[in-house]
Amino acid sequence: MKNLFTVRKILTLCLFLSIIFTVFSVYYKITYWGFDFRPNRTASVWSIDAHISFKPTGEPVKVSMAVPTGAAKFKILNEDIVAKGYRIEKNTDNGRIVLTSGPQKQDQDIYYRLTVYDNEEGRGKLRENGVQIPRKPVYGEQQMQMAEEILAAAVAFDGAWPQKIITLFNQEPMNPTLNAFLPVKMTEKQRVQIMIDLLAIKQIPARMARGVRLEEGKQAAEADLMLEAHDGHKWRLYDIRTGKAGLPKNFIVFQHGGKSLLDVQGGVDSKIRFSVLKSVTSSFKLAGHRAQLNNFGKMFDYSIYSLPLLEQNTLKWLMVFPLGILVVVLMRNVIGIPTMGTFTPMLIAMSLVKTGFWPGLICFALIIAIGLLLRAILSKLNLLLVPRISAVVIFVILIMQFMTITGYRMNWEIASSAVFFPIIITAWIIERASITWEEDGAANATREIIYSMITAVATYFVISNEYIRHITFAFDEINLVILFTVMLLGTYTGYRLTELKRFSPLAKKS
Amino acid sequence: MWHWLKDYSLPGALKEQGVLGMNARNYKIISKNNNRRQYPLVDDKVQTKTLAAKAGINTPHLIGVIEYQYQVKDLTRLVKDYPQFVIKPAHGSGGKGVLVVKHWDDDCFVTASEKVLTFKDVYQHISNTLSGLFSLGGQYDVAVIEEMVNFSDIFKDFSYQGVPDVRIIVYKGYPAMSMMRLATAESGGRANLHQGAVGVGLDICTGKTLNAVMHNKPVSEHPDTHAELKKLQVPYWREHLIIGAKSYEMTGLGYLGADIVLDKNKGPMMLELNARPGLAIQIANGRGLMDVIKKIDKTYPKNLTPEERVDFLLNQAETEPK
Repeated sequence: MKNLFTVRKILTLCLFLSIIFTVFSVYYKITYWGFDFRPNRTASVWSIDAHISFKPTGEPVKVSMAVPTGAAKFKILNEDIVAKGYRIEKNTDNGRIVLTSGPQKQDQDIYYRLTVYDNEEGRGKLRENGVQIPRKPVYGEQQMQMAEEILAAAVAFDGAWPQKIITLFNQEPMNPTLNAFLPVKMTEKQRVQIMIDLLAIKQIPARMARGVRLEEGKQAAEADLMLEAHDGHKWRLYDIRTGKAGLPKNFIVFQHGGKSLLDVQGGVDSKIRFSVLKSVTSSFKLAGHRAQLNNFGKMFDYSIYSLPLLEQNTLKWLMVFPLGILVVVLMRNVIGIPTMGTFTPMLIAMSLVKTGFWPGLICFALIIAIGLLLRAILSKLNLLLVPRISAVVIFVILIMQFMTITGYRMNWEIASSAVFFPIIITAWIIERASITWEEDGAANATREIIYSMITAVATYFVISNEYIRHITFAFDEINLVILFTVMLLGTYTGYRLTELKRFSPLAKKS
Repeated sequence: MWHWLKDYSLPGALKEQGVLGMNARNYKIISKNNNRRQYPLVDDKVQTKTLAAKAGINTPHLIGVIEYQYQVKDLTRLVKDYPQFVIKPAHGSGGKGVLVVKHWDDDCFVTASEKVLTFKDVYQHISNTLSGLFSLGGQYDVAVIEEMVNFSDIFKDFSYQGVPDVRIIVYKGYPAMSMMRLATAESGGRANLHQGAVGVGLDICTGKTLNAVMHNKPVSEHPDTHAELKKLQVPYWREHLIIGAKSYEMTGLGYLGADIVLDKNKGPMMLELNARPGLAIQIANGRGLMDVIKKIDKTYPKNLTPEERVDFLLNQAETEPK
């Protein structure tokens, strides 16, 4: 009894440790590798093309362009510059790319392509103290009066001052004073500038942030803008369409603050236009890239997921078996269903996954039925054991061949799934069932087969489940937990479910 | 809709009755008391016989052993002095492959169930035995030829064909529980409870009927012979118990089942031993085995001879209030 106690204790401890390890590992894989519990999870990959064009003036060219910095709320899959004849210099500190070349003659086209994924929402805050109070805009008396009126109208709205003003600007129909105040035709940039001026009256420092809003099918569009206002401690981003504070998920900031988005020396008429293309890929495929970005590349290199796809698929198939084995153990030792051979049900379940459930079951029943019939004839011949079972194996092969050919000719797909069943296992099932039939009658033989099939079907539903297959593959540490669970079940001394019925006369007596 | 639930009892209720479950038997009893190295001693009937002879336990006389196919035809030479004999696989179980020849002459063999077999049939049977048809896992086997037991007439009314035998569960050398298995028409003359034989639980101290079941349900008379099962009383009970007790020293197995038959002239004889006796005996006795095992573990003295153990058991019964 003492011995039992320690074995159980050790196994329980192992189980506990493996659970902790698995929980940690699952957390780690979700956080750093971007794994997910759901199968077929997709990730959007956005390609942003920035097209810079200008006319050269004949002087040496220097192009300076603001690009997203590493601290941004997305992951960069790829970054690429197409600029023939330019020397490229990337300065990660101030987030600018500088391209230099000698004098150019033709119109220049420079392409900067950025591929990002896993873009997230951010709070869009930037700490900076000692920001100067802006000077009030130089307005005429009448204009100033209008501005005061506009601000007075904006007070009614919710939120901080930048939000009040944005809401007022987006109001439909527009406030008449504001309508009169704004020029008839204006660009988005001018609109934001007027907001900044109005905020300056309220002594709130504000500026523009430029970037790209990730929208499908955006073609040669100008940079999108956001309003950035200082609240005394830090800069906060505001969406100029909604007034919502913070960095939206679909906005990539290229440039903040005073500096320009694009500076071109030795060129005129410089323009920058953005195009956006969205593609969808399996989230799983990006895992390796995520791991590299997080400095966990080594660990990823030694995981299943760095293997070639063929090996991955084989392992994915294998990783689900421990759970199938657990089902068999539960069926036999806890429920108490007798099966033919320990893992025969699991092998049948594996075949069912390949054939599909109903076709597989019907086909298997047919093979067993024909096999039993032939075996009944065989038993009259009184053959020795090894030749007899060998004959049954050959029977099974011939039945499979016959069914596959007939199935193909008759267009019954069901019959052609016959080849997926394990030949030797099928032959042994027929042999055992036939012996039981002769010794204990047909009822017992049928019962034995049905019990094995129940276990096989239960196992099938576990190993064919898409979620379970994904989870046991993506979080393969779970198999350690299953291992110790199975071992712990090896010390289970309670009654089996079927014994509650078998021994019930004993309990009823008193 | 839920009426089938009535067939089940709660684990607690079974535990209270001291019912031993399969998992507990394997983990707590067999793996703790039976050394795997000793299994061949009981799985091989030839070895069991040799050991039993040394321990002074009666077994049916061994006529000979057929080990190889070329020896099959030696059968007639081996059995020429024996009008009756039994062919058994050495590694068989559950009565599989047992051929009882009641009478034979130059033409044919007549089995216990009055079937007439030709020489060829019997040779085929032995060939099958050697090729492992009846042995566990289909391994090669040998055929054991032994003298037929002259069954005592006492049990004649209690069994339909077949051999009524007494199964004694021996725990640490103490007979713990016993039953008699009676063949029925349904069981095909075989004494396996799951095939429909009647199990009669016997009082371990007296050899008298406690309870009888068939297919897990209580019965009071034999379904074919209609003999009243309550009247069953195994004679030479102490000798039965001593065979059980001795088999502990003989094999070293702490938990075993001894199958004993009663010969008209030679008294109780051991047929075979089992290192993993089943649990159906509890149903036949109407009580759990775990209680008895606990009692033996806690209160019964160790280091006694087999005879002392049996006497201890019998004295225990007399002093114990009923």
